[in-house]
Amino acid sequence: MEKTLQVIEEMIRLGIIKAYAIGGGIAATYYIEPVLTYDLDVFFLPIYDFARGRGYAEEAEALIIEGFPVQFIPAYNDLVREAVTDPAILTYRDVEAKVVKAEYLAAIALQTGRSKDRERAVRLLESGSVDRAALAGILEKHSLAEKLKNIEGGADEK
Amino acid sequence: MKSEAAEIVFKKKRERRRRLAGLPFEKKIEIVVELQKAAAGIRKDPRFKPWEL
Repeated sequence: MEKTLQVIEEMIRLGIIKAYAIGGGIAATYYIEPVLTYDLDVFFLPIYDFARGRGYAEEAEALIIEGFPVQFIPAYNDLVREAVTDPAILTYRDVEAKVVKAEYLAAIALQTGRSKDRERAVRLLESGSVDRAALAGILEKHSLAEKLKNIEGGADEK
Repeated sequence: MKSEAAEIVFKKKRERRRRLAGLPFEKKIEIVVELQKAAAGIRKDPRFKPWEL
């Protein structure tokens, strides 16, 4: 996987993408217990922002990079764009890569709102890796505070 | 009313999750691959292949 991460970092140096941050199951695994996943999800900012303004469609591409399936997901809203531009750094076998911060990962999970996302948000909150004040700010900014209340109101203790 | 026996089980599960969460990232990725292999052993699906680290 380290070669995969090196290639993704190289994509920034080559100007193919402007910024990226690992999301999804691998980002969750960085903060909480390992979860079953098959893709390395990478949120990214396209180098040419004008594409969106001109109405060109952004399509996710799944690529096999150095043997690993990488799902490239264009940053699809303001919350994800913010997460990509303010990442944390993870190290895997001496290779550094950008990963979505725990607060943004929880916020994205709350926004996406599928059952597995809600569970992920609960796990992240339980893990202690989330800065609650930072999360509150993010949720307030993106009108998601109510979703956290719903989760905490309905979270079981299992 | 909560079951005391169930509480003990849930507490142990939370402790195990906390322990796993504290492992180095490299070790966690190894566990992800073990999970993938276990899943492949239960149900073969060519779309979901275990990674080779």
